[in-house]
Amino acid sequence: MVFFMDIYLQQLPQQLVNGLTLGGVYALIAIGYTMVYGILFMLNFAHGEIYMIGGFVAWWVLALLTGNNVPFVNAGVLIAFMIVMAMGLSGGLGILVERFAYRPLRKAPRMNLLLSALGVSIFLQNLVLNFQGAKARSFAVASLIPEGLRVIHVGDVVISFMRILVIVVAFLLMALLTVMVKKTKVGKAMRATAQDIEAAAFMGIDTDRIIVLVFFIGSALGGAAGALVGLLFTQVDYYVGFQAGLKGFTAAVLGGIGNIFGAMLGGLILGLLESLATTFFPATYKDVVAFVVLILVLIFRPWGLMGEKIPEKV
Amino acid sequence: MEQSLSETGWVKRNRLILYAAAGTVLLLAPHVMPNNYWLRIYGMTGLWIMLALGLNVVAGFAGLLDMAYVAFFGIGAYVFALLSSSQFNIHLPFLLTLPLSALVTMGIGFALGSTSMRLKGDYLAIVTLAFAQIFRLMLLNLDRPINITGGVNGIYNLDPINLFGFTIVSPVAYSYLIWIAAILVIIGCSRLKTSRYGRGWEAIREDELAAEVMGVNTTGMKLKAFAAGAFIAGWTGAIFASFQDSVFPNNFDFPQLVIVYCMVILGGLGNVPGVIVGAVFLSILPEFLREYGAYRMMTYGLILIVLMALRPEGIMGSFAFFTKGRKRPDKDETGVLKASTDLYYQEEGGEKASGSKAFSKGDRLVLEIRDLAMNFGGIMAVSNLSFQVREREILSIIGPNGAGKTTLFNLISGIYPPSAGSIAYEGRKISGLKPHQVVKAGVARTFQNLRLFSTMSVLDNAKVGRFCRTQAGPLPILFHLPLHKREEEETDRAVKGVLRLFGARLTGYRLEQQAMFLSYANRRRLEIARALSTNAKLLMLDEPSAGMNPQETEEITEFIKRLRDQYGYTIIVIEHKLNVVRNISDKVIALDYGRKIAEGTYEEVANDKEVIEAYLGRKR
Repeated sequence: MVFFMDIYLQQLPQQLVNGLTLGGVYALIAIGYTMVYGILFMLNFAHGEIYMIGGFVAWWVLALLTGNNVPFVNAGVLIAFMIVMAMGLSGGLGILVERFAYRPLRKAPRMNLLLSALGVSIFLQNLVLNFQGAKARSFAVASLIPEGLRVIHVGDVVISFMRILVIVVAFLLMALLTVMVKKTKVGKAMRATAQDIEAAAFMGIDTDRIIVLVFFIGSALGGAAGALVGLLFTQVDYYVGFQAGLKGFTAAVLGGIGNIFGAMLGGLILGLLESLATTFFPATYKDVVAFVVLILVLIFRPWGLMGEKIPEKV
Repeated sequence: MEQSLSETGWVKRNRLILYAAAGTVLLLAPHVMPNNYWLRIYGMTGLWIMLALGLNVVAGFAGLLDMAYVAFFGIGAYVFALLSSSQFNIHLPFLLTLPLSALVTMGIGFALGSTSMRLKGDYLAIVTLAFAQIFRLMLLNLDRPINITGGVNGIYNLDPINLFGFTIVSPVAYSYLIWIAAILVIIGCSRLKTSRYGRGWEAIREDELAAEVMGVNTTGMKLKAFAAGAFIAGWTGAIFASFQDSVFPNNFDFPQLVIVYCMVILGGLGNVPGVIVGAVFLSILPEFLREYGAYRMMTYGLILIVLMALRPEGIMGSFAFFTKGRKRPDKDETGVLKASTDLYYQEEGGEKASGSKAFSKGDRLVLEIRDLAMNFGGIMAVSNLSFQVREREILSIIGPNGAGKTTLFNLISGIYPPSAGSIAYEGRKISGLKPHQVVKAGVARTFQNLRLFSTMSVLDNAKVGRFCRTQAGPLPILFHLPLHKREEEETDRAVKGVLRLFGARLTGYRLEQQAMFLSYANRRRLEIARALSTNAKLLMLDEPSAGMNPQETEEITEFIKRLRDQYGYTIIVIEHKLNVVRNISDKVIALDYGRKIAEGTYEEVANDKEVIEAYLGRKR
């Protein structure tokens, strides 16, 4: 037992870094769920697929702009372009999905919305399967980063450049979103719409546009997460969205669904929990951790860490 | 949901002919299949029908998004495989393994359901989805350290089925076995749908809170739907395992779930014949579109999106609409339609309310409320409230908006547990009971903002009120035992008696009309009828005349009086129209900021200084 603890403490800093990376990604995905839920009270089942397509967009950009593992442009520009394109196209896709699959159902029972979202998820997944095949695509990014920068040693801890990149980009995006929501006029409109969509409409806010914007931002962040995970684990396939979507949703619920900062917190906690748990459990059961967390939160604290408990209005 | 085809008149009259035709088709079908390939599809179609009908119980009847449904299918299949293969050298006979697989699956469904049933729609979907993922991970990984599931390879070479001396191996024999099982499931589902269970589930799907307040034990019923779905999934799984002679983790994955959902939605959630058609359609269609096989799942995704946007009631909805359109109100047994302002609540009592008093005010205490308080995070919606209601008394509660009147009803009916104080009905403490238990004790209510089960018929809306007065469980319902039949007759009689009190407003052709097509005033009347159907003796009416015109108001006022005088009800009314209050009240209580500020006769309360202040403000 003592021996076990020793190993654990040795690995702890390393696992913390891993957890922070994973947590940043989960947080980005969770934000998309939580923003949509905050306004429409719907679970956007298709969000995981949008994340997956973000990963594919990044891969396409990389494949287009490199030949024989040599990029045509500066490596930094290339990586930035991958992320920006993933965000832009995923965001655009989010808008399309909202327009065609969700908007016609705005007044329908919530179950119908959920089923439509399920349909979108299946559709996108199989669209990618049909055009890209079931084979995983790998990112040839190793050569992009100069030899000396690839790994950084801090004491015993080994941090790859990509991990730092993921953490920095994830936190940068979250900071930007925070500023936008808290300080700008459109952020104020978003908060108002989330509180009471009808009242917001009466106050002159074009709520349809806010909903479109929310889908764009949420999906763009999901796409960014997809690109970042592609860069980090150098792989993407048509099926990754499913797991990632569940993890992102778990993070959103853990933080309190509807609450953007809750989603960030929930993502980070879930990432840390998962990487700390891998020390104890065989890797095959790693995913079970997230599901167990999800089920426990839903049963004991369904309003999450930062959400509010609202009694049902009768 | 829409009226299904099987309930329309033509089908009912020609039932025997239809049964005979269906029987002949089923008997001949396996022999006219061109080859074994099509015979296999024929068998698979039967399996899909069962699977879709099981999901239809959970998602269609009760409206629960069960994403673990295919995992239950898998559990049934694996249990069957483990009990009749060389995996553990257990070789039980089919007649034992089939029910056992179904029951084990139901048990697991029950366990999962009881942990997650408190969750609302989307959350339930996610938890069950997570469960399905865990199940798959276990199937894939439980081949080490001891080999239980066989990992990726699954379990194969199952025992052949031996039934009463016949060994079932040929595709034709399997076809018969599968379709007999499917017919049992079809009959079971149809019987469930038209029973108290079916109505309870439909009510939950339409409005869970209203269902609970009308006496449906919603938690229990949802759990039963979940377990029933799991049972059918497990039952189908066992037969599937034997049919395929093997089980693999890939048989029970997400795509299968989507296919079953597509079948149910295509047929129309809750519509039994529709779901059968949906399942047949989607089992056979892919065979004609072989060359586009790669696009199959994509198409399913599109089907879901398009159907939800354009036809959420499924493809069969139009048929029901078509047949129902023929029923013309003006040719109905009610005769000439009367203008809605006519007064004719008089059938049962003979003449109008005036004069004939069957009951007079009693002295027995019916409801006693002591020091009741409700605290919403610091806001005292009700505080320190005590009052009593005596037998056959009409108590009116008045007060400005936000005075706590509706909160008081919510407290009495058990929607909120009170922060302090006690509520006793006929000497028995009812505070702390769940809403459905309060109804059963004898207290029923209506809602200010109308919470009818809008897609259910007028008759069925009222029948939901009888749920708490009937007991038939799954066995009496499935086997149409005398208990079920007696209760159904009794329910029908009682409910029609109540609806008759409202004359042609709610009877005649309107019995079959969906609640959402009723006029506003009729919806208010149906709310009252639904509450009366519960056999409660204490009625709580939340603004019964809201939104009614003066004549309708007068009519409902007379009706409320009649409920007391002729039928002996004790009534608490929340009312804003003071002429109504003056007209009906034996006693009036005025609330303001959750406190009782006056109690007495109408005149006493209306002239009370504090009441005038609360309504009009202080005189300077």
